[in-house]
Amino acid sequence: MILTPKILARVAAAVILGALLQLCFFSQVAILQVSPDMLPALVVALGLLGGSMTGAVCGFCAGLLVDSLLMLPLGGSSLVLLGIGYAAGLFRERFEIHSMLVPPLLCMGLTFVAELGFGAVELTLGPGGPVSLLVLRDMLVQAILAFFGGWVIFLALRRLLRAALVEEPMVRPRRGPRVIGA
Amino acid sequence: MYRKQVRRRRALLAILVIGSFALLTATYGRGSDGFQRAVSTVFGPVESVASGALKPARDLVNWFDETFEARGRNEALQRRLEEARRQAVGAQAALAENAQLRKLLKLNRSGVIPSGYKTVTAGVVARSSSVWFGEVTIDAGSGDGVRVDDPVINGDGLVGTVTAVSGSTARVTLITDHSSRVSAKVVPTGVQGVIRPEVGDPDDLVLDFIDSGKRIGVGQAVVTAGWRDGELASRYPPNLPIGEVTKAPIMQQEAAQQVHLRPFADLRNLDIVQVLTGGSR
Repeated sequence: MILTPKILARVAAAVILGALLQLCFFSQVAILQVSPDMLPALVVALGLLGGSMTGAVCGFCAGLLVDSLLMLPLGGSSLVLLGIGYAAGLFRERFEIHSMLVPPLLCMGLTFVAELGFGAVELTLGPGGPVSLLVLRDMLVQAILAFFGGWVIFLALRRLLRAALVEEPMVRPRRGPRVIGA
Repeated sequence: MYRKQVRRRRALLAILVIGSFALLTATYGRGSDGFQRAVSTVFGPVESVASGALKPARDLVNWFDETFEARGRNEALQRRLEEARRQAVGAQAALAENAQLRKLLKLNRSGVIPSGYKTVTAGVVARSSSVWFGEVTIDAGSGDGVRVDDPVINGDGLVGTVTAVSGSTARVTLITDHSSRVSAKVVPTGVQGVIRPEVGDPDDLVLDFIDSGKRIGVGQAVVTAGWRDGELASRYPPNLPIGEVTKAPIMQQEAAQQVHLRPFADLRNLDIVQVLTGGSR
């Protein structure tokens, strides 16, 4: 990704908008009795489009913003989100994305990992206590919701940052030449 | 060049990770600090505006989720209601059964059942659909020791007699069946007679062939006579309660030598009975 001031502003806007949407909308709705968590999907999409450093920095900033807005101890969400942003970027740098299913699948898998990470941070820092297995079900539902949400987020971000992308991550099937009058 | 890039990347990653840990360490358990307050001050108004603007969308999404959840809950509650109904009906049936068994136990303890008889408790599994209420089938048969002509009682009194037996079931002809005849006596007067049914009315029996010289009063109890004459003996042991006299006009006693009585046992609603097997017959 070619980072110009304009692109940086767009990325920052995407992160801020994503964090605000997460706090004002997604966290307050219930789908299948679970509030979707779209922030990991946003960070994964940014990592897939911009690479590991972009993913890590965006994850860190998104986590910091969310923790600040929620008045939580700073650093916990940042640590988790920078990890998945970095992992998504690394995936993009190591492998070619051949299918449109890869970004949403990565969003799903890394959202699940992020939720595990949030849980680990909570359990490490918090007072601890019994954890119901229903948490696993909620995490799975969140991951499935991230599959669909991640798809939309990835397509929207790709459109937003198209000018900065060095190459299209998708390998599109080429159309055959049209023969006129055949 | 590439190595430099990699090194720079790693350094940035390390800085971010260390920064996260440092922030955690610095801010954990201290509440909001200046940075957080500043961020909240900047984004607070934006948050409230966004929250207000997104409220309809939130309500819409939540409405769908709540509707689906309510539907699922409704179905679950319907299932629970049906289950509770079944349990309630089962409990009521068990209570009724318990009451009948208690009555039987009380009858057994009262010494009404003569020595030498064994009791076989059985449930009524089928009933004659005829309006005469003449016969029922019970779930005890020859395998349980039940034989033809064994008397059958319930907690209230005499019910009838066994008229057919298979391995696991038996047919009981009730005392209200048109073919039934029971030798009986009125207590305490000791007037003897034969009970026959008033066909078509299961709540009415007739004590026939009584001694017209002795008076019988309404409310007096009628029990089995249980006579024995050499080889011949009544099917029924003596003193099994049958019913109480309901109508005893003197004219009828003198002219027709009969009185009317109501059976103690509710012969239309039999559930549990006891067959008296063995005995001295």
